[in-house]
Amino acid sequence: MTETTAPIDAATASSGGRSERLPTKIYLYTSLTILAAIIIIPLVTTALGGFKTLGELRGNPFGLPSDWQWENYGGILFSQRYWLQMGNSLLIAGLTVFLTLAFSAMAAFAFAHVKFFGSGFLLNYFLIGLMFPAATAILPLFIRIRDLGLLDTYWGVVLPQVAFGLGMSILLFRNFFRNLPSELFDAAFVDGAGYIRFFWSITLPLSRPIIATVGIISFVGSWNSYILPLIMLNSESKYPWPLGIMVYRGEFSTDWQLILAFITLTILPTVIVFFAAQKHIIAGLTAGAVK
Amino acid sequence: MAGLELRNIAKSYGSVSVIEGINLSVEDGEFVALVGPSGCGKSTILRMVAGLEDITGGDILIGDNVVNELTPRERNIAMVFQSYALYPHMSVYKNMAFNLELSGKPKDEIDRRVREAARMLELEPLLDRKPNQLSGGQRQRVAMGRAVVRDPAVFLFDEPLSNLDAKLRVQMRSEIKTLHRKVGVTSIYVTHDQVEAMTLADRVVVLNHGVIQQEGSPMELYRRPANLFVAGFIGSPAMNFFDAVIEGGTARTANGLTFPFVSDQQLVDGHKVVVGIRPEHFLTGGALAGEVTFVEPTGGQTFVTLDLAGHQTMVLVSSEQDIDTGASLSVSAPIERTYIFDAEAGNRLSRN
Amino acid sequence: MSQTSSISAPRALSARTPAIARRKSNRVRGTWPVLVLFLPPALLLFTVFVILPMGEAAWYSFYNWNGYGLPTQWIGTKNYELIFNNGAFRQALINNGLIILVSIVIQIPLALWIATMVTHRIKGAVMFRLLFFLPYVLADVAAGMIWRFVYDGQFGLVAGIFNAMGMSAPFWLADRQVAFYAVLGVIVWKYFGFHMMLFVAGLQSIDKSVLEAADIDGATGWQKFYRVTLPMLGSTVRLSVFFAVIGSLQLFDMIMPLTGGGPSNATQTLVTFLYSFGVMRMQVGFGSAVGVVLFVICVVLAFSYKRIFMKND
Repeated sequence: MTETTAPIDAATASSGGRSERLPTKIYLYTSLTILAAIIIIPLVTTALGGFKTLGELRGNPFGLPSDWQWENYGGILFSQRYWLQMGNSLLIAGLTVFLTLAFSAMAAFAFAHVKFFGSGFLLNYFLIGLMFPAATAILPLFIRIRDLGLLDTYWGVVLPQVAFGLGMSILLFRNFFRNLPSELFDAAFVDGAGYIRFFWSITLPLSRPIIATVGIISFVGSWNSYILPLIMLNSESKYPWPLGIMVYRGEFSTDWQLILAFITLTILPTVIVFFAAQKHIIAGLTAGAVK
Repeated sequence: MAGLELRNIAKSYGSVSVIEGINLSVEDGEFVALVGPSGCGKSTILRMVAGLEDITGGDILIGDNVVNELTPRERNIAMVFQSYALYPHMSVYKNMAFNLELSGKPKDEIDRRVREAARMLELEPLLDRKPNQLSGGQRQRVAMGRAVVRDPAVFLFDEPLSNLDAKLRVQMRSEIKTLHRKVGVTSIYVTHDQVEAMTLADRVVVLNHGVIQQEGSPMELYRRPANLFVAGFIGSPAMNFFDAVIEGGTARTANGLTFPFVSDQQLVDGHKVVVGIRPEHFLTGGALAGEVTFVEPTGGQTFVTLDLAGHQTMVLVSSEQDIDTGASLSVSAPIERTYIFDAEAGNRLSRN
Repeated sequence: MSQTSSISAPRALSARTPAIARRKSNRVRGTWPVLVLFLPPALLLFTVFVILPMGEAAWYSFYNWNGYGLPTQWIGTKNYELIFNNGAFRQALINNGLIILVSIVIQIPLALWIATMVTHRIKGAVMFRLLFFLPYVLADVAAGMIWRFVYDGQFGLVAGIFNAMGMSAPFWLADRQVAFYAVLGVIVWKYFGFHMMLFVAGLQSIDKSVLEAADIDGATGWQKFYRVTLPMLGSTVRLSVFFAVIGSLQLFDMIMPLTGGGPSNATQTLVTFLYSFGVMRMQVGFGSAVGVVLFVICVVLAFSYKRIFMKND
């Protein structure tokens, strides 16, 4: 029936075939361990560094802290700024994801199912957005947001983010919708459903995989984004965490132990969510590339 | 319930015409099969009746109403799709209830009708399952249940059995026939399988290139094919054809085979014709002798390929006879079962 | 018997139904509500925040304007001349070129090599894949910040290594000659995992029986890779290069915490240049002109790459 195209699954091991011989295994494990060390040592020393004193950081950058400085982390965890920044990021990303999903799913549905004059042209219009990053138009964008009175508001960040994400999202949604069997559409039509009913009762419930994909792309993009909030937001109380990190570092310029603790705490949610939902996240983030 | 009439309907995409002037009327309660090779336009006709495809000319009438401009729901038709098109995220019950819900029927009526249809199709134990938990035959029955439940004026079947394996196909064929007998709704059934069409339908319509070649009861089509196309399409294994010319009232092939036949009209010598004889109509013993090149025993009957003066001819013989490859066999074609067609126009010239 | 070979005069009967009603399409009934409800939100947002700003950038780029009032001071192509005569801009162009070069020559082969390793049937392969993909999920800003610490000459890991060897630690990020190579290292560290995943997906989509056939044909491991696997990964490689190129042109977030474009513009990229010279100084005309140049580069590269290399993909 409707086995819709499965997202690429790069996160699970393949099975079958013969197992490897010993020399191959040794070669693989040695290379992979060295590479893994290069990846993980900066991350682990960052996390451990947050538990050290500045002096120890200098004398013992790699080892475990001799005396665990919990107050570095504690101070940040009990500060308002950390939670405020996380909240800001979450709010901005949440709004971005919601609007991106709603607008692009609707537009993609029109492109996938409704024949209308100029639909090909209009789709290409949206695909222009795939070709250049937001940075190219950042100054006029700033002026537009300013003139709309949205400067220093969440919307000033959210709306451009949504707008620049539309091209890719519409493309992903449209391809997915078109791969749903067209007989479903006919059946629903014979059953008396109109377009909007079909969208709501049939298309959306069947689109969970692609909603997850687009949602993840847009969430990760927004959660990590730096340049748009940097330009659109002025008050620190509205800063998302990537801006917050920069401010924090500006304030405590040489207190590396505090900065390291702050970095660790800000990337911790990402790392946890990544390992918890790795399959979906990898499939989501590579989907834009593969489809 | 109502009859159905197609008046001169046509379909073209731009300047490409796929259906030209189809006329067909289906009586109330009749079961009509549209059969033809793929691309002959049969599915397009069905979709035009359903309202899924626009018509570019002519009229479609359901009962006494012209429905050209009506949406599928307003036409009060039900359709069973080739892939069944069950909504994968809905339970069997929901699948069957969907269209009743859309038309705003009260809950208890929906429930009553769904359960009634489920009983008729023995779907009751499956009502809570999702389509992907069903076997092919069960999905097929749900698709029919979804059609039955709405009590439509016309039933449309679009190659509903082509996704099933051979055994299930035979079983579902009889279920469809039983269902039709029970509900008696006017039905149109599209298929490329002539056996399916012949076994199911009261009347079979043979289509090719968007044109009706012949319509009639299954046996009429078999006994009196109107033209070469129908003759070759209906019947299995297919009819043998020989290119020939008329010579003194019989048909004579280039390599010397002669076939007497009963003519329907005066034919001049030299007229190019095609002789058609069904494999099962050859009688053993006679003037046509040749070498057996291939033997396919199937149990009750044996298919023998016979080299008649260079012409590979399929002959059906009773399995009582033992025939070996390389042996020689002589057969004859009964005069009243020899078909003659015009080589150019394709229409039948012999009386039978 | 009924034989209706029926090619009759077309439309003889349709005259009976008055010609009013052959609407274009009955399937499409209810088209307008969908279009009117579903398209405008996306269309409006996209036009206002993507297309118009890009057009305005082209317009502003011919003015000297600080962003207040209306642009009035038309200066022709002066901004563009200024850009191309600017040493920092040329450095940014070179740097972006270097990033692309390193991506293609080092990062992608590295990613492919690792991908072949983690698709072997060994314990922990999936864990290694996750680990290698992790830096890609982290925010650029965070990655930049972490590596600023790593490279720090006083407290960082590099300092630790040098101190342990009894040498005095260098300040790589403050060294004009070295800073950008240090940045390139971070770029590879952060992004190879993404390319690796593309290759893992590509490798997994290769039909196992093809490789088994090569085994039967007596191909060695290297021959199998070079003669069978690699050609079948062609489209993945092209895709990977494409993303590396597009990604390099956007690089900004990671540079800011690492060097901010310094020392003395040694690590500028096109976007950091736009930020430091256009946005920070509120030179709207000049900044817009940089944006236009960046746009042209993006479009030309994307189009020509697709035309030339991805024709069949």
